[in-house]
Amino acid sequence: MNSSNNDSCSNSTSTNNSIGGRDLGLYFLDQARLCSAAAPSAMDEAEAEEAPTELNTINSSGGFLVVSTDKLSVKYTSVNLHGHDVGAVQANRPAPFKRLLYYFEMYVKDAGVKGQVSIGFTSESFKMRRQPGWEANSCGYHGDDGLLYRGGAKGEPFGPTYATGDVVGGGINYASQEFFFTKNGAVVGTVYKDMKGPLFPTVAVHSQNEEVHVNFGQKPFDFDLKTFEAQERLKQQATIEKISLPPNVSYEIVRSYLLHYGYEDTLNSLYMAGKSTVPPVSMNQENGFDEQDLLYALSQRKTLRQLIRNGEIDAAFSRLHEWYPQIVQDDKSATCFLLHCQKFIELVRVGKLEEAVKYGRIELSKYFSLARFEELVQDCVALLAYERPMESFAGYLLEDSQREVVADMVNAMILSTNPNVKDLQGCLHSYLERLLRQLTACCLERRSLNGDQGEGFHLHRALNSTMKANS
Amino acid sequence: MSLFWIVIRQLAEIEAMTDLLQAMSKKVITREEWEKKLNDVKIRKEDMNKLVMNFLVTEGYVEAAEKFRMESGTEPDIDLATITDRMAVKKAVQCGNVEDAIEKVNDLNPEILDTNPQLFFHLQQQRLIELIRNGKVEEALEFAQEELAPRGEENQSFLEELERTVALLAFEDVSNCPVGELLDMSQRLKTASEVNAAILTSQSHEKDPKLPSLLKMLIWAQNQLDKKAAYPRINDLSTAKLEDPSV
Repeated sequence: MNSSNNDSCSNSTSTNNSIGGRDLGLYFLDQARLCSAAAPSAMDEAEAEEAPTELNTINSSGGFLVVSTDKLSVKYTSVNLHGHDVGAVQANRPAPFKRLLYYFEMYVKDAGVKGQVSIGFTSESFKMRRQPGWEANSCGYHGDDGLLYRGGAKGEPFGPTYATGDVVGGGINYASQEFFFTKNGAVVGTVYKDMKGPLFPTVAVHSQNEEVHVNFGQKPFDFDLKTFEAQERLKQQATIEKISLPPNVSYEIVRSYLLHYGYEDTLNSLYMAGKSTVPPVSMNQENGFDEQDLLYALSQRKTLRQLIRNGEIDAAFSRLHEWYPQIVQDDKSATCFLLHCQKFIELVRVGKLEEAVKYGRIELSKYFSLARFEELVQDCVALLAYERPMESFAGYLLEDSQREVVADMVNAMILSTNPNVKDLQGCLHSYLERLLRQLTACCLERRSLNGDQGEGFHLHRALNSTMKANS
Repeated sequence: MSLFWIVIRQLAEIEAMTDLLQAMSKKVITREEWEKKLNDVKIRKEDMNKLVMNFLVTEGYVEAAEKFRMESGTEPDIDLATITDRMAVKKAVQCGNVEDAIEKVNDLNPEILDTNPQLFFHLQQQRLIELIRNGKVEEALEFAQEELAPRGEENQSFLEELERTVALLAFEDVSNCPVGELLDMSQRLKTASEVNAAILTSQSHEKDPKLPSLLKMLIWAQNQLDKKAAYPRINDLSTAKLEDPSV
């Protein structure tokens, strides 16, 4: 009934790679779908966190203040009689934390009679009739005395006072676990953040005529947040740069990458260049045995990669039948499936739609009933429906990256036929990839143990960030 | 005396207890759990290719970069032609042909030396070293007086460097003198590296490849995570082998 169950059963051939072969091939099946629109991107996570956009009118201390219709300004309407009639208001959402910094600003339109405006962060359960900082689990930088309050009646000397016309900012630095505050574009101080849980940006007014406007990023900040962020990053970078690496380790890792994927010409060039650099690159000889495994079938892997990258799938099939028949003998394997799909895609690419249909009927139809392959084969066939398939939702199949997945798959399958290979899973990933995975996993785990605060590591983002040297 | 040893022993016990408590409070992640986390990570092939290309280009392996572009379809993030020029300068310095190197740098971009007095001084210093190495004493002295001394007057550290270099002339057997290291290959390499970095910066390219930074980040990330968890580590970067937690 369920054909997909067959995937995990051994088939009739005797090569022990067939079971492994199935498993390995399936990995690339997932890779093939990675680029489709349906696949969630890792980058989405950063954007998925919603940031505060306006003031919360529901829980604010209604009797003492009025919030403007655009929910970005607040004015004190009462008369300051005691310490429990503060007009405090929180943002509509807590500060997002899966990032390096969070920041918002407040413009003091009118410091009123007593100038008791303040800015800070409070927890969800904060008593809205109090100044931020006067209760536990809150902190506030107060304009009338320039003190920082962190949950006690007494404040600590922190920064300058501020009044009408000043722009004050409050921020959280997740890397250093600190709050920081700014006045008119300059940082006035930082303080350790030992508050846990969601933190709401908060502003408060407390005497007649006090009025403040908030900026949650809907317009540019007074404070140069970008530069500050870059500086904080550089600090961390500087600590990391001090770490020493074993000599030539980057060169070795690049070498093993080229060996793993079969980039033979590049490898030879690199080797020749390494010999003539001053001083010549000397390699760690202990890697000898690993290298033998990676040298396996280097020329053939290179040839097959070239063929697939050029879209010559028929030639690739015939070479495989000639050199490694065990890889392509089971038509129901992921390997054969992906190769057939690619052939189909290549026909569509050059506009040979009739031929594509014929090919599809002969070779692809059998995959429709196999649950694992269904989605991809449907996407392939969908290409036929569009005049400009490149622009359709299935357009990703026509990209170079798709050929790359197939090439990488064939590469891994050939590596797995090596009788000396001990760890089939190892055929999937180059050392470089394993290192990058470890890096990502460590950063994520560390962040997770830290209440999920701070940035994770994304290779894509790290590669595309430019750190122009400031001369 | 015995009281002293009692205290020492107690301190050692406290330390052992603290270590034990710390180890017990660390989250333990089994190999299986960790491998699942590793498998959840999505790494794009094209990003890895970019990383490799960035390495080849920044380190100056022009031919390899060219071949890699053909074999992988990855576009270099810098014009390969500029690499050849840059490598020619680097090589010239490495071979001791400093005058040639200076000419080439100026051909490439005259602003580099204009805006980099320290680099220019180091190149001139290298020239002086080469003159001394070749036994051209008179020429060396003339050069030092005309070209380097004026720079030394402007800047204290330049002056100190100049004095160190000229000191080479005072010794018959340079291999034994305290400033003998200036004649080493390592000095040439240092200067060559400086020039290489300056050229890359002038081309708005980062002067260091990204790969070593990422490797360092891995070491750092593991060290950071060690404080809170026991998990399979990679201790040897060149084999990327996962080693089970010792707990």
